[in-house]
Amino acid sequence: MDFKFDIIIHYLPVLFKGTMLTIGFSIVSIIIGSILGLGIGFGKMAPRWYFRWPFHLYINFFRGTPLYVQILIVHFGVVPPIYGKTNALISGVVALSLNSAAYSAEIFRAGIQSIDRGQKEAAISLGMSSRQAMRFIILPQAIKRMVPAFGNEFIVLVKDSSLMAIVAAPEIMYWSNTMKGQYLRIWEPYLTAALIYFILTYSLSKLLNYLERRV
Amino acid sequence: MKSRKKWAMSALVAFLVVAMVGCSSNNDNSASGSNGAEKIMFASDASYAPMEYMDTDTIKGFDIDFIAAVMKEAGIDYEVKNTGWDTMLTSVKQGTEYQAGLSSVSITDERKETYDYSIPYFESTNMIMVKEGSDIKSALDLKDKVVAIQGATTADDLMSGIMGVDNTNLKRFDSNAVALMELNGGGADAVVADIAIVREYMKNNPDQKLVGILDTENFGSEYYGILYPKGSEWKAKLDPAIKKVLENGKYAEIYKTWFGEEPNMDNLLKAQ
Repeated sequence: MDFKFDIIIHYLPVLFKGTMLTIGFSIVSIIIGSILGLGIGFGKMAPRWYFRWPFHLYINFFRGTPLYVQILIVHFGVVPPIYGKTNALISGVVALSLNSAAYSAEIFRAGIQSIDRGQKEAAISLGMSSRQAMRFIILPQAIKRMVPAFGNEFIVLVKDSSLMAIVAAPEIMYWSNTMKGQYLRIWEPYLTAALIYFILTYSLSKLLNYLERRV
Repeated sequence: MKSRKKWAMSALVAFLVVAMVGCSSNNDNSASGSNGAEKIMFASDASYAPMEYMDTDTIKGFDIDFIAAVMKEAGIDYEVKNTGWDTMLTSVKQGTEYQAGLSSVSITDERKETYDYSIPYFESTNMIMVKEGSDIKSALDLKDKVVAIQGATTADDLMSGIMGVDNTNLKRFDSNAVALMELNGGGADAVVADIAIVREYMKNNPDQKLVGILDTENFGSEYYGILYPKGSEWKAKLDPAIKKVLENGKYAEIYKTWFGEEPNMDNLLKAQ
């Protein structure tokens, strides 16, 4: 099989810039996504159904429809009315954050609900308020359980950001597509992209392993 | 309850097995022609109306009618399948399942390093599309504007040449449909695409107040060819039939039904 390394080398500078954007998208979106997710997760655990319902709907919409479509809706339907025109960078952060928030919400909820009810009852019987029980007893234990699932969500998000290429956000996949278009070759661009994503996610999982041991 | 669950499960498994067998036998049917009786399989990216597109489950377009005329002339059995662009590129390069690509592929020197082409069968040029009242008049005006295009097209080559391949103001999309939406959404000042595509879009969306700009100086003529793997024997078999269809008036007839005007046969025949 012929494999042209020279075209990869030719594209390395822009692939590097694309990698920076992918990292930027992922970090910003995981931060915004988890903050939103925390709120949505608590919302979904609200005692009354009419409080729960909008959060329930949110999670099911973002988990139940393709991210591909969500990106198009955000890029052409949500960003232009607010920002005045389409902008791939804004769309990227918005779409990925909203999507990741739905998954983070479920991670938070699962983590908190996995702590035995008896813990909360014990805390309350010792004179803590419901808030204090959550803050000092449940959350510290729950967070420990959330870390692996959260790391998984982060890795998925890094790879999902490749879908931003459909609205021409110049990240890794976008430049691979450009390389493909210029030379009409498939393997050089896509295998290079796969390698970059692998390096990103592998380093991330090493970092997460380290964090898991620390918490 | 448990036995009902089991039953449902086995029904599901049975369904999947039947579905898989159904799919694979389908593939067998289409592949058997290539090694038995002479048959050529064309791969196509049918998302390029009016050149080639899917009308629900049938493939239609100028290219499809044209190849029908050519294959009738050559007397060879054939089939055109919508595979998408990437699959077309890889499978035509291998040449086992599909022996040719028919997808408005422009003939360029860069691509000739990896593929063989038939003789040119269609003359095209790129057209600039802007909103009414835009100050863009020629290709060079696009230099410091935001331009939306379909990646991997000759519009991409031309605009990469003018704006620079790593210029992020040149936005490459997967299809012209999304590039046109970007112009609509205000994220781009212009779209550059094949003339047939731009005209079709303006015809279908008269209310959007769009203007097409031709710039023959910077966007020269380009020609579509059928894509073959390197060293393909099909080129020698089909080129005479293509030539015949071009010369006997059949081509002009098909051209007129799709584009409502006479083709410029002089240019096309000169390019042979």
